[in-house]
Amino acid sequence: MLSRVADSIYWMARYVERAENFSRLLLSTQDLMLDAGIAGVEESQFWQPILATTGDDEAYYKLYSEVTGEDVTDFLALRADNPNSILNCIRAARENARTVRDQISNDIWECLNGLRLFAESDEGHGLHRTQSAAFYERVLSRSYEFQGIADSTTPRGEIWHFLRLGTCLERADKMSRLLDTCSTLSLEMPPHPEARPLRWVALLRSCSARHSFQVYNGKPDPKKIIEFLLLDETLPRSVASCISEVHSALVALCGTGVGDQMSDPVRHAGRLHADLVYATVDEVLDVGLHEFIDDLQGRLNQIGDSIFKTFVLNIAELPDLDVTEPEDTPAIPLGAHHAEDFNNAQVQQQQQQ
Amino acid sequence: MSSLFNDYQPASFFDEVFTANNAGRPHYKALLGSIGSLSPTDYSALQQMVDAAFLRQGVTFTVYGDNKGTERIFPFDLMPRVIPQREWETVEAGLVQRITALNLFLNDIYHDQKIIADRVVPAELVLSASHYRPEFKGVKVPHGIYIHICGTDLVRDDKGDYYVLEDNGRCPSGASYMLENRNAMKRAFPGMLHSLPVRPVDEYGEMLRNTLAHLAPASVVDPVIVVLTPGIYNSAYFEHCYLAKEMGVPIVEGRDLIVRNDRVFMRTTKGLEQVHVIYRRIDDDFLDPLVFRKDSLLGVPGIVNAYRKGNVALANSIGTGVADDKAVYALVPKMIKYYLDQDPILPNVPTHLGIEPKECDYILNNLDKLVVKAVNESGGYGMLMGPTSTKEERSEFEKRIRATPRNYIAQPVLQLSRHPVFVDDHFEGRHIDLRPYVLSGDRVSVVPGGLTRVALKKGSLVVNSSQGGGSKDTWVLWEDRLDMPAETPTAS
Repeated sequence: MLSRVADSIYWMARYVERAENFSRLLLSTQDLMLDAGIAGVEESQFWQPILATTGDDEAYYKLYSEVTGEDVTDFLALRADNPNSILNCIRAARENARTVRDQISNDIWECLNGLRLFAESDEGHGLHRTQSAAFYERVLSRSYEFQGIADSTTPRGEIWHFLRLGTCLERADKMSRLLDTCSTLSLEMPPHPEARPLRWVALLRSCSARHSFQVYNGKPDPKKIIEFLLLDETLPRSVASCISEVHSALVALCGTGVGDQMSDPVRHAGRLHADLVYATVDEVLDVGLHEFIDDLQGRLNQIGDSIFKTFVLNIAELPDLDVTEPEDTPAIPLGAHHAEDFNNAQVQQQQQQ
Repeated sequence: MSSLFNDYQPASFFDEVFTANNAGRPHYKALLGSIGSLSPTDYSALQQMVDAAFLRQGVTFTVYGDNKGTERIFPFDLMPRVIPQREWETVEAGLVQRITALNLFLNDIYHDQKIIADRVVPAELVLSASHYRPEFKGVKVPHGIYIHICGTDLVRDDKGDYYVLEDNGRCPSGASYMLENRNAMKRAFPGMLHSLPVRPVDEYGEMLRNTLAHLAPASVVDPVIVVLTPGIYNSAYFEHCYLAKEMGVPIVEGRDLIVRNDRVFMRTTKGLEQVHVIYRRIDDDFLDPLVFRKDSLLGVPGIVNAYRKGNVALANSIGTGVADDKAVYALVPKMIKYYLDQDPILPNVPTHLGIEPKECDYILNNLDKLVVKAVNESGGYGMLMGPTSTKEERSEFEKRIRATPRNYIAQPVLQLSRHPVFVDDHFEGRHIDLRPYVLSGDRVSVVPGGLTRVALKKGSLVVNSSQGGGSKDTWVLWEDRLDMPAETPTAS
């Protein structure tokens, strides 16, 4: 498979997952605000952590002076100049799908093309203005549709593995950032018997895990929640589950290999997987949740980088080839389409008679 | 009887569907019956269904000058254009004759230039064509074929006679719309396609693949073929992708390819894989920054040398633009006589060359009556429509023609044939042309039909998509289904 195709499929899946996660996050934060009651509560303390989750707080402060629900929602949902807004994630997912249209099923393509038409339409913008929850739900259901179509139409070869890599790495990344937003909260149950740790419950909701947690533990004990979302492999969205899938996809792509023969992505993913499934929640808390997640984030990036190096930059050397690049040729970025990409005028100049 | 066509006016033009006294032509009889019986509302509903499907499926082209990357559907009119088999046979023979002569001409011009030595065509006209590539003189190309994919534009005049308007021998586009239009018709009018002996077009992908495979170096048993696109923001990206999928080959961008030891490879997840044939949809100028434009970000450094060495084949070849230069066009009848010793089956439109002083005077004195075209533009750009032009436009063209007479030609305004097109709630006549696709591989083959392009603006004679044009499906109709060639499964 072409390296660029692999990268585009990987990023297509990542961007769909990103749009889904932001939609669910905004939806659950709105719910949290309602549960907590607005009166007397500083609005920014709910929205600040959300911004932190996205990792785009710097871009935010260039556009807005303070943190309000309205502005954060605007920034994360439909803002065209935020490269990671839901709108731009949808666009980027669809543009990547467009570059690999010949490789994916027509149904996947039409699903993402339809989502993009919706997100850019007056109907979509109007819906977001008047009933934002309905807008997010629409994005969520399209994303589930994408997962379902991809699952039932994609042959279990390279394309499938790159799809899964994109989805699961993005999910692990967003799950760990979500957990991090709660790392400063108390781990104790609230003293009043009637009180519930609303923020922790909202966290479960933003991971679509509230009901499955109910079965897991019954009481929203923060320590149990961390264990469930971070280390429990039975929950399909947990970080441990995601990394387990990343590892198997990588093994399917590169084989296992021993010692020197083992590829970097397999090595990094396998190690991280072991560290997660053999850890206890107390060990995590001894290190500190924030510190643990900081390290985890670094390792997720390491896996992402090694995937790019192995599959996209990779030029396996053919023995008799001269591998020096001719001089004076412009450097052109390899790989997938991203929202901030330049739109080269030369592409348009080509005469199609 | 009430019919959607009751109020239709063929006017003084040659109408494809109706004769001058308003009678339906025999090959349209069945269509007039079934389309005519629809109500305007039903017909509009079908049209909207097809448009919505095109948008949903992304059967679109990118609109330039719009940084949001807006995509539009290519307007499509549901009523098909019908060509009877007899008529098509003449067209087909004419196209085969023409491409054969053009390929012989290119092979000659890039080798011995006998046609110039024999003074059949003037050297100064041919060698001054902007797409002539002297760098390619003496380079042997596979099987001596230069134009593998040609999109020839045909028009009919007020008597219904066919003429060649231009030969597009560089990167002709539109074949994907021909295929998608047929698919849309299958959804909209399944019954009609079922009951009429319409020749299918869906073998185009396979024909194209065979044409390309024929070019591969002889030692390669199972050649790797790719489509090279400038990228997703090119107006024709949908087509590049569609054709790659129809052929079952990868679509690549320049950055996916790399040249080592004069061989071309693509970067794959498992390392480098050699490529043998490239159907490139990038202009010559951008193909290789080491040979042509140095600033090209789309090309592949070293690809031209790999081509010269015969390690990779390019379709179309480099420098084919000299044959579809609008001034060289005027010489094609002479080429047919010179190389094939035949008279052209399909005539040219009479053409005045700016380079000939006498004809140039004629052009300048008759600007208000002629169509003036810049020789190396396409897509309906660089054109002056004399009769509808303003005084300012004419004086602007006069200046340009005087400055570079070589770059301009002029033709009489042809009253192109018209076809009914659905407008709001009724049919009106609009001018059309026809672009069939001619493939030259181990033999020359023409897909039965092609893309019928429609000038949707009332009275307009310009059919290009960039100038408000649309398209129709084209049905080549056998008289008797049982006589249809083997490409069609016989009715059981």
